[in-house]
Amino acid sequence: MVQETGTDLYSGILRFYSMNDVRKYMKSLLERYQRDYDRSSNVIGSLLRAEGGKGMEVIMSKGWAKVGAMFVDVTDPDKGGMELTFQLVTEMRPRISKTEEVIKTFESVEALPIATEATFLLYLHNGIPERLVIDTTETKPEAYTYKGDYVTVQ
Amino acid sequence: MLDVTVVIEDLDASRLSEKANENANSNYSLNVSLAERDRGSDHLVLSYSIELTSQPPMARFKVSGSTTLKGTKDEIKEGITAPDENRPPPILVMIYERIYSTIYLLAGALKVPYPMPNLLKKGP
Repeated sequence: MVQETGTDLYSGILRFYSMNDVRKYMKSLLERYQRDYDRSSNVIGSLLRAEGGKGMEVIMSKGWAKVGAMFVDVTDPDKGGMELTFQLVTEMRPRISKTEEVIKTFESVEALPIATEATFLLYLHNGIPERLVIDTTETKPEAYTYKGDYVTVQ
Repeated sequence: MLDVTVVIEDLDASRLSEKANENANSNYSLNVSLAERDRGSDHLVLSYSIELTSQPPMARFKVSGSTTLKGTKDEIKEGITAPDENRPPPILVMIYERIYSTIYLLAGALKVPYPMPNLLKKGP
């Protein structure tokens, strides 16, 4: 399997040990989404420019047929692939907007009275940060340190 | 599965005796320290510092840097926990294995005894 384009969208719960780490993680998510969006939309843009004033017809395949529970394109792979990329780009826009909005308004979450020992559970749904639990039951582990004396013997 | 990367950030090697040579019989004592630098839900970054001194003193190597453990909370915990008092934590063994080739090359260049690559044994 080779990933052609797109973004890995995580659904799940992540634990963070500081609010700053939550913010940094969400920013890194957004940067990745924007990078992937730019890459895919550049493909569409280049094709539309290359094809002159032909409009959307150059990325809309007429080869789709419903087979089982899926749509399958067996006659027009170029346009079919381009149509998928276009669909991907269209779906990425709201995801980017939503993640941007979460980051922009995150100050209000940071302003909440939060116990210093708290940890944070971030819930992501299809890559979008949706919920945050401020957890005072599982606190940050003590910073790890280790010291030791050893020998290597011939 | 635990994924470990080791980066050398600082390296110092000294030949301490004119009589030193690669074939001299020599054990090395190691002074090791690890300290947490950063922790996240799926990773732990540690600073490490390892100082090897040959006995009798013919050479000294000081290596420091960082190591990143990526994995689940349990995998990371297992990686940093020594199995018992006399054995090092697995991460220390991994760090030593990764930096060993560099130390070996330096020992050859300095013409001092080569440290052993095997697992570390706790000193007296």
